[in-house]
Amino acid sequence: MKINNKLRVELARALVVTAALLYIPSNIMPVMTMTIVGKTEPLTVLGGVYELYDSGLPLIAGVVFLASFVVPFLKIAALGWILFLHGTPRLRERRNALHHIVHKVGSWSMIDIFLLAVLAAVGQLGSLAAVTAESGAIFFCIVMISCLLAAEIYKPRLIWETTTT
Amino acid sequence: MSTTLTSQLGGAKGDWIRCPNCDASCRERELSSGEELRCTRCGATVLQFTGRKTLQPALALSVAGLLALVLANSSPVLVFSVAGRDQSGYIITGVRELIAQGYWPIAALVFFAGILAPLLYLTSVAYVSSACCFHVRLPRLVDLIRLSEQMESWNLVPVYSIATVVSVVKLRMLGGVQWEFGAQWVLALAVISLFVQQTFNHRLVTERLISMGVEP
Repeated sequence: MKINNKLRVELARALVVTAALLYIPSNIMPVMTMTIVGKTEPLTVLGGVYELYDSGLPLIAGVVFLASFVVPFLKIAALGWILFLHGTPRLRERRNALHHIVHKVGSWSMIDIFLLAVLAAVGQLGSLAAVTAESGAIFFCIVMISCLLAAEIYKPRLIWETTTT
Repeated sequence: MSTTLTSQLGGAKGDWIRCPNCDASCRERELSSGEELRCTRCGATVLQFTGRKTLQPALALSVAGLLALVLANSSPVLVFSVAGRDQSGYIITGVRELIAQGYWPIAALVFFAGILAPLLYLTSVAYVSSACCFHVRLPRLVDLIRLSEQMESWNLVPVYSIATVVSVVKLRMLGGVQWEFGAQWVLALAVISLFVQQTFNHRLVTERLISMGVEP
């Protein structure tokens, strides 16, 4: 299916707005609940990071914090800025470079979703251990997919277009 | 071959060719070893000296990657134990568990990015590379090139392998964790995928296809 440039820009804008709106609930709501020997603990993205940091693993906590919290935020901000300046000749080289970075590092925010899948796979030991997904994970997925699709739909060649859409 | 590929490549040296990043027109010229032609507008690489480079490394790595994918998916990755009870987990176990919990959109995403996209990516790379290496006009080559381009960014096995390491760290705080046979294949698949991305040169593929006389 061929999508014209105007539709590409509109779709990318809609996806970035969706991601920006759902970024807040994806970080406030728990992404999973872990029950270990009767103790139930809901975990948000930042809660998981804090837990790792608190256990004396600052490096791992840093990786998860960057991939799950900072990268999605920067992706939304970068795509928002690129789309805001669409059709203008301002800072095209920088927008082009930023689009390239977003495209390259964007997928690393999937780390939290894969983490949930691995924990859910092995954490099903009845009353001893249980890992269940929570609604925050759905919001997190939507944020991630929206950003990936927006970067995919808004091709770098559109940055160099002169007509305002 | 599609018109896009043909127009991107251009014809004889000195023709105008399109920048794959910004669509600007660039004048094609003969390149010597180590040289590359960059777009004057956006700075993207338009042409690279391919010389005697072949797609044999891409073919070998993609076939190795497919083998690693099969092994990574047919062996358990981790075993988690609490109070004498243990459970092993395959890549697909997480998908099945998320479906059982009613979170099928997340399950679908994990299945796609962790299993299906790597399979499609490596298969399409192996298919196209073998056609170029053995000079065989296989059917639907252009479609498979497109598929490899689209699946490249969705092949998230390297991210999955990091997530596995993080999960081990997390699970060690709660009980006993043991790496299993599948873990080394997940790691191998992640490394091979990264090498496939480096060796599968789309420009080289296009040149080889044109030399084979493949036309749209």
